[in-house]
Amino acid sequence: MTVVERREVALVDLLDRLLAGGVVITGDLTLRIADVDLVRIDLNALISSVNENVPAPWEEML
Amino acid sequence: MSGEAPKKAGAGRSRLDLEPDTVERDLIKLVLTVVELLRQLMERQAVRRFDTGDLSEDQEERIGLTLMLLDDRMAELRDRYGLRPEDLNLDLGPLGPLLPRE
Amino acid sequence: MSGLRYVYAVCRPFGTPLPRQLTGVGGVPPKQLVHHGLVAVVGQVPEEDFAEQPLRAHLEDLDWLGTTARAHQNVIDALTVVTSPLPLRLATVFRDDSGVRAMIEQREETFLRTLDRLDGRVEWGVKVYSESTETSGEPEASVDTGARPAPSPGKTGSGRDYLRQRRNQRKESEEKWERAEQFSRRLHESLSGYAEDTRIHAPQNAALSRAPGRNILNAAYLVPRAESEAFVELVDRTKDDAPGLRVELTGPWAAYSFSGEDA
Repeated sequence: MTVVERREVALVDLLDRLLAGGVVITGDLTLRIADVDLVRIDLNALISSVNENVPAPWEEML
Repeated sequence: MSGEAPKKAGAGRSRLDLEPDTVERDLIKLVLTVVELLRQLMERQAVRRFDTGDLSEDQEERIGLTLMLLDDRMAELRDRYGLRPEDLNLDLGPLGPLLPRE
Repeated sequence: MSGLRYVYAVCRPFGTPLPRQLTGVGGVPPKQLVHHGLVAVVGQVPEEDFAEQPLRAHLEDLDWLGTTARAHQNVIDALTVVTSPLPLRLATVFRDDSGVRAMIEQREETFLRTLDRLDGRVEWGVKVYSESTETSGEPEASVDTGARPAPSPGKTGSGRDYLRQRRNQRKESEEKWERAEQFSRRLHESLSGYAEDTRIHAPQNAALSRAPGRNILNAAYLVPRAESEAFVELVDRTKDDAPGLRVELTGPWAAYSFSGEDA
């Protein structure tokens, strides 16, 4: 039997959207003390299992 | 593989416990994943040929037995290293998993 | 105000105030930074957690990530009630208010264009799962051959039996897969009729979601608010259409999957 379930939001659904969706403020900017800059988030640093859309850090597996 | 279990807390177990040694365990996982890939490919080939009636009865028997033994042996190896079937997989990122998940 | 600026979303000015007790990341209530006719919803966060180094480390910690994501979503949810926010990616952090203003100025046109497109719309997520087969009572195996056949003694014919068993399992598996695909395709088609836009995402990671079965469809639908009720009803009605399949609905979300510039 097919069941439609609307449950409390699963973490995976949340992370899928928050990490791979939404607007990305791009530009190779890192936080500098003196300036007005962005923190650069290296999503590749995440365990690759967090989001299949993020390329796996292949080198780290071998 | 040496018969001596590494000395650590809870080392009273007779089964070799590779838990703390992640590097070695990861290597084993990788090797077994590759073996599993080959096993699946061979099995798939064999089943296809069995299905199309491509094999003689004798071949079917021999190939079937070989595959069965291979499957048993893989299960043994997995058990020995405390790996579940789903542990033997590789995430190829955008390409998805190496082996089909089900 | 010291500390860094964590930006949740960009929106058009909205009349209705946010709930007074609303808090976001770090338990801090978000504030509105108005600039050039746009509103950035901003929370103050400590530098010791959100400067590049510590942030990078935190992002690899699933527990921290989970807590932060939920706090973040708390704010986006509250915004989605009163407006159609343009959500930013998690942990978009600026040095100070002028950094936020500079960012708004830089992207003003894009923001206005996207906000126009998303105005009055929400996102619904639909996933279809194929339930695991329990042919021999064993938990689902990772290989596509399903449960392992019971070990046979080495008598004549057992090799052929093995092949036969495997063949039957594969056939069953393939048929199941085909049915699941067909169902998903039809479902996606009918849901697309109600949606302005759709996105098909990669199947969700099973290790992380720990959802039973295999994810066949993972799609997002951009639906005008007025159509949402009908959309949800449509999904509900699919429940009797396919045995062995599970449909999961999540939403309403802010338009995460439709916020990109290429969207």
